[in-house]
Amino acid sequence: MKRKIGVVAAATAALVVLAGCATTPSDGNADGQDITFWVMGGDTPEALRDYLKTEYADATGGTLTIEEQSWGDALAKLTTALPDAENTPDVTEIGNTWSPTFTTVGAFTDITDMVEELGGDKLLPSFVEVGEVDGVNYALPYYFGSRYVFYRKDLWSAAGLEVPTTLEEFNAAAAALKTDTQSGFYLGGEDWRNGISWVFANGGELAVKDGDTWKSSLSDPNTIAGLEQLQALFADASLAPVNEADSTPWVNINNNSETGVPEAATIIAPGWAHWSIGDLTPDPADSTKTVATWNDEVFGTFVLPGVDGGVAPVFAGGSNIAISAASQNQAGAKELLKIIFSPEYQTMLGENGLGPANLDYASALGDDQFATALIESAAGSKLTPAAPGWAAVEGARLLEEFFGKVNAGGDIPALAKEYDAKIDELING
Amino acid sequence: MFTRSRAPYALIVPAIAILILGMGYPLIWQVVTSFQKYGLAQQFGQPATLVWFDNYVRLATDVQFWVVVAKSLVFCVVTAFVTLAIGTLLALLMSAVTKTARLVLQISLLLAWSMPVVAAMTVWIWLFDRRRGVINYLLDLIPGVEMNRFQWLTNPLTFLLVASIIVIWMSVPFVAFSIYAGLTQVSDEVLEAAQLDGASGWQRFWWIIQPMIRPVIAIVLLLQLIWDLRVFTQIKMLQEAGSGSGDYDLLGTYIYKLGTSAQDFGMSSAVSILVLAITVALSSFYIRALLKEDEA
Repeated sequence: MKRKIGVVAAATAALVVLAGCATTPSDGNADGQDITFWVMGGDTPEALRDYLKTEYADATGGTLTIEEQSWGDALAKLTTALPDAENTPDVTEIGNTWSPTFTTVGAFTDITDMVEELGGDKLLPSFVEVGEVDGVNYALPYYFGSRYVFYRKDLWSAAGLEVPTTLEEFNAAAAALKTDTQSGFYLGGEDWRNGISWVFANGGELAVKDGDTWKSSLSDPNTIAGLEQLQALFADASLAPVNEADSTPWVNINNNSETGVPEAATIIAPGWAHWSIGDLTPDPADSTKTVATWNDEVFGTFVLPGVDGGVAPVFAGGSNIAISAASQNQAGAKELLKIIFSPEYQTMLGENGLGPANLDYASALGDDQFATALIESAAGSKLTPAAPGWAAVEGARLLEEFFGKVNAGGDIPALAKEYDAKIDELING
Repeated sequence: MFTRSRAPYALIVPAIAILILGMGYPLIWQVVTSFQKYGLAQQFGQPATLVWFDNYVRLATDVQFWVVVAKSLVFCVVTAFVTLAIGTLLALLMSAVTKTARLVLQISLLLAWSMPVVAAMTVWIWLFDRRRGVINYLLDLIPGVEMNRFQWLTNPLTFLLVASIIVIWMSVPFVAFSIYAGLTQVSDEVLEAAQLDGASGWQRFWWIIQPMIRPVIAIVLLLQLIWDLRVFTQIKMLQEAGSGSGDYDLLGTYIYKLGTSAQDFGMSSAVSILVLAITVALSSFYIRALLKEDEA
């Protein structure tokens, strides 16, 4: 009796253990595979998501589920979900600044064999580079965006100011427009994604690769020059809180519903912000919401000018896209990538103000002032260092802290040295 | 004569087994990981290198860590004691008022306590909003107080004050109900006798009521200290509304930042073990007192 129980117990134990083993991923047939696609934030509009779902169902008969992750939680979720075969998204959008971190640890599937088919050289080179490790492609561009300046034409002309052609002129104009209740230029103290333009414009870098290791270069003289300019600009032109990071910029340039005047005369924002900027009227469909209609007499755009004219290098917005290496549905995931890189979808991206990965379709962006500003500023834009540990640096909020302290009036060389040390600990992964 | 039966031990084995599996596995994993260098690469399959006490040494020499520990300890002690004081006052109020008033009070406390944390935090963040918050508006109405657009979340001190107020609001109902339950055990005759003898309200409370409900106060205080030491959700959401900078971190968010955000799981495990040690140290006083009472 005891022996029989022992055998049964052993068999049950074996079953339980074997059930927990991972099943081998299917690579052949995509038919009927249900996959999950993670998008970051609200950049991909509803219409495009619906298109992907219908196309995927047509192509494979399986269901595509699109889950939106907020940028704030995304890093934590990717870190915990990607290695887990049961919970990993099959395809995921990934911020271009995080791509190097995840590609170097092997989170994604090798898709070098698909690159030609998906667009080859037509794909945005800097984004392809950031998703590549030792010649192997793991992540490809999804869309690119860029940041440019939105300004209140009425306030600028009332002050007798014209669109600036150099960065110096911009800084001066912004300072001149500041009043006690209104920022000349709204910039949060911890907003490094916008503030970094001043660093880049002065030839500074966040980190440089020395042989095989990355070293943080906040103490570099050019970087310090840019930071000093930024510190002065924040003090002279902005009334934003010193610890506000990237937030909803359009709130500050539309007329405040209570006071009737805007919080700021100028803002810098990603291109898609223009949908939320304009005269505010109640939404006819839903009285609790307001709709912004662009008014060309009141609002205008221009690209942030460089130190000697031209275009200042702004922070290159956008995302890459990749297939999770732990995914059980590799074939289905590859099918989705083909749909995303298809001419129809690339055109749809452009039509909705998102720079398509395949530059052949960049003309779909149109030729209105927004498209022109987007393409012009994107041409000169720069990325954060493609270092293995960069996602950790962002996760630890080191740049937010650093910029916050700089804009609070701190001693820049001392702070730069302190944060160089902190970033160096994380940047090489 | 009875031989000692093994049955009681056999009966509690399943419960202990589940506890060990459920809580032991993460605990053992954390202890092991705290001795390793465990980053994102290890998360994706690379083997982890054993570095023994390296993580602990790095922590012990990191000034920022000790600042966070100090802030967390001060925060938890202040918040726990204020919660206890307010909770006790409310419990005394509940035992002194009429039935309808008591019911209204209890229902309001219950609603406050059962509200999901994230929902409550959203509303509290709106209340303290610098541009449109009700708090700034109300305070501004007081003549002489200039509170227009006051930024509560820009300064670490006012940030922690706001966090403290919210945590106290969320914790008071539990304390109030527990102490109220304890108060029902206090005999009315003794109180009446004391009153007839001329004891004031405060004297009655301190010399009669308090010693009788001391076990309740002890356990409630201990729980509040432990919970307030580990507070996470409230701080994280306030940081998202204000700044994620390290100046606004308490232990909970500090561990989270090290772990899932900066992907240094080895270090964050080490910090967690240290927090566990502090918690055990706090509870040891209570456990020792409890054991002494048992022996008596």
